Amino acid sequence: MVLYKSMLVARADLKMALKVSYVKYGLIGVAAIGPIMMIAIVGLMVFGDPVVAVAILPSISVMLSPMLGMMAIMPAALISANALVGEREQNTLEPLLNTPLTDRELLIGKLLSSFIPSFVLLIGSIAITEIATIIILLSVGAQIILIPGLPGLFLLLTAGPAMIIAIVSLMILISGKVKRVYEAYQTSGLTVIIFFIPMMIPMFTMDASGIIDMNLAWISNIITFLIALVLAAITWALAVRRFNRDTMISM
Amino acid sequence: MVIKLDEVVVSGLTKKFGDLTAVDHIELSVPKGSVYGLLGPNGAGKSTTIRLLCTLLRPNDGSATVGGFDVVQSPVSVREITGVLPEEGNHTLYQTFSAYENLEYFARLYGVPENEIPGRIEELLIFMDLWERKDDPAGELSTGNRQRLALCRALLHNPKVVLLDEPTAALDPVAAKRVRELILSLAEKYSQTFFINSHNLAEVQRVCDRIAIIDEGKILLSGNTQELRAKLQATQNFRIRVVNNLEKAESIAKATDFVTSVEKEADSLIVTIEDPFSNNSTLMESLLSQGIRLVEFAEEEATLEDLYLEVIKGGAK
Repeated sequence: MVLYKSMLVARADLKMALKVSYVKYGLIGVAAIGPIMMIAIVGLMVFGDPVVAVAILPSISVMLSPMLGMMAIMPAALISANALVGEREQNTLEPLLNTPLTDRELLIGKLLSSFIPSFVLLIGSIAITEIATIIILLSVGAQIILIPGLPGLFLLLTAGPAMIIAIVSLMILISGKVKRVYEAYQTSGLTVIIFFIPMMIPMFTMDASGIIDMNLAWISNIITFLIALVLAAITWALAVRRFNRDTMISM
Repeated sequence: MVIKLDEVVVSGLTKKFGDLTAVDHIELSVPKGSVYGLLGPNGAGKSTTIRLLCTLLRPNDGSATVGGFDVVQSPVSVREITGVLPEEGNHTLYQTFSAYENLEYFARLYGVPENEIPGRIEELLIFMDLWERKDDPAGELSTGNRQRLALCRALLHNPKVVLLDEPTAALDPVAAKRVRELILSLAEKYSQTFFINSHNLAEVQRVCDRIAIIDEGKILLSGNTQELRAKLQATQNFRIRVVNNLEKAESIAKATDFVTSVEKEADSLIVTIEDPFSNNSTLMESLLSQGIRLVEFAEEEATLEDLYLEVIKGGAK
């Protein structure tokens, strides 16, 4: 398998997606929501009462970190809907299938076209959130706290990519059932919500006093990661089985 | 070791979609460098045949080789040596990409060496009269230009076999003529083999040296275009063009014993005459003696249309 060819497909898909203005601005908007919310919450707390903020920010971080992960899933769904169903809707799938690309190269290309930008957006939003909160904390002379903290970073950097793979694989499966991009968007919107559920597990580790037990947070994050991994493995295996020229053309 | 001189060899090829048999045990063989036409009405199985040959579909039965490669065993090798213009090719371009970007993307996918890509694209775009439009998004090009761009895409990697599905559909006569000329020149210059699906009989007659007629998934007839036309034995048909009184000429022809059929076509009559060598002069004399002034009395050459209609109606053997 030649990864170069998969990368060509990925680049073309991304280029095509970014030429659609609602996809381009949709991606920017979705990617911006997570950091803006987290920075705003941290800012309000720190500028309100820095001492209290420093005490509860680690707990807040555990609760909010999954939000960045959820936001990372949405661009993946958006791009992959465009790359898979859009290709068929615009009749560009057949010429692509006529090239010497193997089914596997094409599948990897389609995965990368969604995975790379989604992962870049995820990393970007983590970096922006970390830098912005550090600046906020430094501006009031408070102790530096990583937001997202280590449990959150673990969650985002492990479960995040696995979830992106899972959602793209799911879109590959959906693309065999729907014929229009808007149908794919609608279906992906519904499925993304289901994929949010495991990402929300860490939010339920807060006790009655509003403090989160960090050991419990780590356990819940590991569980989320394992669920994401299983989901990614199952959906990817199904996508590999489903993705072949004959099926795509015959439908 | 068997050396196959034919570029495309199809044997018992069958494709079913559920209960529908789209292609039913067809046999074809396309010599290298020839222009082969597959004729048939809509839904006859032409596009499915091309999709089987370019490995988009897997056959349910039978076999096919393209350039010596089996379509099931070596699909990637088949795709490397084939260029395909899909049905409605002008709608299969990336609309937001420029003409140049469309070709650049596919040149890379087809493995054209990076340093040869600009030259190859320029050569094709100039040849197709599209160089001035190279930076325009494909979606902003006219239907004819898009079709030519799609044809450029099929030819980018100098394929040994070019599979064209209705290449001149939706083209104006000038653009269609250019495409036909291109096909003929490429077949001659590079010995490229062309396999053309069409229901445009005039086009097939002008371009193809061999044809097959397909209907309901079955090949009804195949062979050399000239030989097939001869099979019709249509030399009994004559065109009679008159200066005056076509109606009178028609009634005279109809009243003549050895004239088996008379059809009016614009200012002419197409008549079928039994034993024309003996009877032609008799009919001519009869017309002249009754005041009909003849402009033309000539043998009507059988066209592919005659052949096609005869075969589709089930008349051909």
